[in-house]
Amino acid sequence: MTIGPIEAVGAGSPIGGLAPIGGLEATESTTSTNGADFAAMLAGGLQKVEAAQDRADNLAVQAATGQLADVHEYMIAANEAQLTTQLTAAVRNKAIEAFNEIMRLQA
Amino acid sequence: MSGLFGALGIAGTGLTVYRKWLDAVSDNIANMNDAVATNADAFQARYIVARTADYGSGTEGVQVGGAVLSGKTDGRIVNEPTNPLADEDGNVKYPDIDLGDQMSQLIMAQRAYQANLAVVDRAKDAYQSALQLGKG
Amino acid sequence: MLDDITSVTVKTALTGLAMRQRVTADNIANIETPGFLAGRVSFENSLRTAVENGSPAATSISNDRSLEPTRLNGNNVNLDHETLTHLDTNMRYQLMLRAVDTKISLLRTAIGG
Repeated sequence: MTIGPIEAVGAGSPIGGLAPIGGLEATESTTSTNGADFAAMLAGGLQKVEAAQDRADNLAVQAATGQLADVHEYMIAANEAQLTTQLTAAVRNKAIEAFNEIMRLQA
Repeated sequence: MSGLFGALGIAGTGLTVYRKWLDAVSDNIANMNDAVATNADAFQARYIVARTADYGSGTEGVQVGGAVLSGKTDGRIVNEPTNPLADEDGNVKYPDIDLGDQMSQLIMAQRAYQANLAVVDRAKDAYQSALQLGKG
Repeated sequence: MLDDITSVTVKTALTGLAMRQRVTADNIANIETPGFLAGRVSFENSLRTAVENGSPAATSISNDRSLEPTRLNGNNVNLDHETLTHLDTNMRYQLMLRAVDTKISLLRTAIGG
């Protein structure tokens, strides 16, 4: 009697190939466009600061030459210029702090 | 001076006019008993005409439009034989000024002057507050 | 540092206003002086022209005598006008100081990291 050859183990039914592991799905594009948003925001903020400072300057010159009609106009413009400058400076400072933090982590 | 602190300038014109009014009334009262001979003109009371300056043209407020004499040159004839100016009938002429009328004008002028001072005061406070915007 | 057009304009205005304060005080002190004509300081028009020409420092602050009608003793100081001028100048001076203050604080914000 002939013994049939040992069938290859598992050769019968090939194990179905492992399904490929799905790659990490990209999350809602957070990193890249957030960077663009921040830069745009900072640039827009700087423009606003310059505009506010220019307006306050013009009104100051008008007040000096006696052409200004309302004193509160200049006061509000001056306060606006100060506040926007301080806000932009604060954002800049926080951004630098965050950058330094990250640099420290990587080192 | 109007423009930046406009209310001050406008009230200032009021102060000038009402002070002139006070001056005119005090002059009238001071001269109430000026005796003249009957053939001369009596002292005439002076009235100040107030006129509005052009609003919106930068010269708002009030201004003195002129001083008008009362035109009552006949005065009151009073019999005072001992007065050196008396004529042959012993009469002299006194001005026809009603003291009651002058006193009420005095009060009106004083009230108006003080009202304008109050405007100056309040306006100054308002402008000062505006100057403090944003401090502290 | 504070030498841009705005700062120089404001500083010139401060000088003009300070002179006006002195002259007004002088007028009030001389209200009964016979023959005294009230002083008037003017610089705003000159400053406006100078700013338009780009060099605000070239303003002329002039102090003239008022030619308003005089009273009997030759004095033409109007107390109401002087009092209000004093008040008005005072507040304009404060406004100019606030303008310089604003400039300084903006610079300081920019410097302070």
